[in-house]
Amino acid sequence: MKIFNFKILRNTIGLTLFFVTLYLQAQEIDILIKNGHVFDAKNNIDTISDVSISNGKILQVAAHISDEHAKNVIDATGLYVLPGLIDPHTHVFVGPRPGKFANGFNSLSPDNFSFKSGVTTVVDAGTSGWQNFPQFKSQVIDQSKTRVLAFLNIAANGISGTEINLSQIEAARHDLNEMDVEKTSEMILEYPDIIVGVKIGHFNGGSWAPFDRAVEAASKTGRPLFVECHLPEYSLEDQLDHMRPGDIITHSFENISERMPVVDEKGKLLPFVLEAKERGILFDVGHGGAGFWFDQAIPALEQGLWPNSFGTDLHRFSMNAGMKDMLNVMSKYLNMGMPLKEVLIRGSYYPSMAIKRNDLGNLSPGTVADVAILSLRSGEFGFIDARNNSIKGDKKLEAELTIRAGKVVWDLNGLAAKPFEKN
Amino acid sequence: MSKIERLQRPFIVLLLLLLTSYFGIQAQEYDILLKGGHLIDSKNNIDGQMDVAIADGKIAEIAQSIHKSKAVRTIDVSGLYVTPGLIDMHTHVFMGNEAGAYIANGATSLMPDGFTFRAGVTTVVDAGSSGWRNFPLFKAQTIDKSKTRVLALLNIVGTGMKSRFEEQDVTDMNPEMTAYSIQKLYPDILVGIKAAHYWGDFTQVDRAVEAGKKAGVPVMVDFGEHEPPNSIEALFMEHLRPGDIFTHTYSNGPDQRETIVDQNGKLKPFILKAQKRGIIFDMGHGGGAFTWEQAVPATKQGFKADVISSDLHTQSMNSGMKDLSNTISKFMALGISLSDAIYRATWAPAKVINRTDLGNLSIGAVADVAVFNLRNGDFGFLDVRRIRVKGDKKLETELTLRAGKVVWDLNGIAAEDYRE
Repeated sequence: MKIFNFKILRNTIGLTLFFVTLYLQAQEIDILIKNGHVFDAKNNIDTISDVSISNGKILQVAAHISDEHAKNVIDATGLYVLPGLIDPHTHVFVGPRPGKFANGFNSLSPDNFSFKSGVTTVVDAGTSGWQNFPQFKSQVIDQSKTRVLAFLNIAANGISGTEINLSQIEAARHDLNEMDVEKTSEMILEYPDIIVGVKIGHFNGGSWAPFDRAVEAASKTGRPLFVECHLPEYSLEDQLDHMRPGDIITHSFENISERMPVVDEKGKLLPFVLEAKERGILFDVGHGGAGFWFDQAIPALEQGLWPNSFGTDLHRFSMNAGMKDMLNVMSKYLNMGMPLKEVLIRGSYYPSMAIKRNDLGNLSPGTVADVAILSLRSGEFGFIDARNNSIKGDKKLEAELTIRAGKVVWDLNGLAAKPFEKN
Repeated sequence: MSKIERLQRPFIVLLLLLLTSYFGIQAQEYDILLKGGHLIDSKNNIDGQMDVAIADGKIAEIAQSIHKSKAVRTIDVSGLYVTPGLIDMHTHVFMGNEAGAYIANGATSLMPDGFTFRAGVTTVVDAGSSGWRNFPLFKAQTIDKSKTRVLALLNIVGTGMKSRFEEQDVTDMNPEMTAYSIQKLYPDILVGIKAAHYWGDFTQVDRAVEAGKKAGVPVMVDFGEHEPPNSIEALFMEHLRPGDIFTHTYSNGPDQRETIVDQNGKLKPFILKAQKRGIIFDMGHGGGAFTWEQAVPATKQGFKADVISSDLHTQSMNSGMKDLSNTISKFMALGISLSDAIYRATWAPAKVINRTDLGNLSIGAVADVAVFNLRNGDFGFLDVRRIRVKGDKKLETELTLRAGKVVWDLNGIAAEDYRE
């Protein structure tokens, strides 16, 4: 007697496939994106495909999906379709306090900048700490259409200093007694779906206690540490040594006196930086107003230090400078020579892994339907760094359409709209 | 050589030296030179190639050719359009987080700088988010902290647009205090009065006009929540003065809001008469106030809004509106020329708000300048009902100067080339 009946197995599989197909076909499709170049690194998709969305979730990605049951069909021919972009470095704890970041005018409302740049998730980089996170949540996170996640600052009130010259003010404010591992960890575990890690930011003192406490809170809660590296008393090498694999350092290509740069005066990438990368330290761009320099980024790229993510460091002083928005930062790398595929994978999939959010950054069926549809413009473009130096380029990414949880939240040219019928 | 000649020689050398140094200084008399662009300056009837020189934050010279040697920095703007910095006459920028407030110190308003410079806008007019009671807070919190020039229409309601309910409080519609704030306290910032969102009869408009007469400024009316609806013909012909402003010109509903085009697609006959009388029609796009259904037939029948404005707030920023340059491009998709559309976002609003120091590039004017790239391609423009009209031209903001400083530089045309 045969233990295994291949015929039955074959029939069962066939029948199952038949019913799955039937089920998928019967499901009402809210949005069907047709003929776009789908790029979903997690699922190894890098080809022309259709994407269907139902009830705010990805229903199916396949070579051909019938539009018979689709309420809205978007023709994405010639466009790239990818998981909604994730910006891992922003400051969005916006409020009315002039000159402040936490609850202040220096932070920005996330929705103002996200969707028009294909971004559906932003991570606030420690603008709040355990004391003012609840206010940040009720005031901004709960009110935004953009998904707002956060690194919690080890300092109790986040970035509470004034104006741009943070470090001096922060040094006075960041009393060690305020850097409480227990309270930071408790707040993280109270909001495990929002707080994705711990941030150590501006600190002037010579003691390693703030850094160590931030690492401790991150370890206790199983989350990465986000190092903003305006820590002039610590050498870059020491900072990297104190970090664990999976921890993130930002402003990677900054060239200012407050921090040792990654590339030396002769244009050589420092060996310990590459070693840190090989050890698993993640390098975020953290562009900001002063955090991105071509004399760092270009040699670093050539010598193997590719950023893991394109954090914009969005705030009042970067929005109108060389940074502008996340697609502009990504386009900058595209024109510096990073292949498109490598740029796109760093736009959504890599940052999702860095913040340990496997539910984001991919288009697996059942995943929340956060989708970016991008066009790749050809033309003569230019890109500026923090020193107001420019490079030329011939490619630029533009956000045609952005979908957040199955809803169209940005539609540059009316791809999802109905044409006007003249009387 | 005579004695006199010998004495003259050092003098001549000195004179030559002086002349050389004088011309040396002359050679750098301008801070910025915008060279080779197509200038559109409606006030000065310029619509052609013209160089623009800037010194000390002001327009210093406009000429067909100004030599590079006269400027510290020359920016090549050939192939681009140069215009006065745009004036967005209808925005809501009193951003804050007061509990229960929506537009006044509330989350529906936006910070101006994130939306202005990237769209070529250098001046915004806040359209009545604040009233005389909360204007000082608005000024301290937003106006004084913004790089964008923020002007304002003061709401006839003392608390401005705090909530729909407070906006109905007739006892807080005070012409005396409103006029006093405009004339005596903040004459450089407050350029008019706003009447909006009122559910009753003409009381609110009449109070606003009374204040407008006292202060000598125009009134802008957002007119369309009246139950039962009020006649816009009566508004234009009996209640408003020439120079007063009707906003949300192309909105189509809700039912309480009377439209300019009737159900048969015909422009109501009194609209052109009202415009002739001097009523100013403001686009005020917003999240709900621009429809192709109104705009297309109205344009075909010879009517154009006098001013193109965005009605910028959180509900319009990511919708069909997007920003003022997109809104101007949309106007062009209706068949209106670039120079006419630019006029309606520069010199036209400057005149309406009696700020003729703005919206032009006359010699001595503040150097608020926008430089646009007119893209050609397949573009689409949405109205508030998610209906699309195609267009083949779209403005993109290359460079924006505010008081002679570069505040937006899309492609680094004012930056230095990176050298390894």
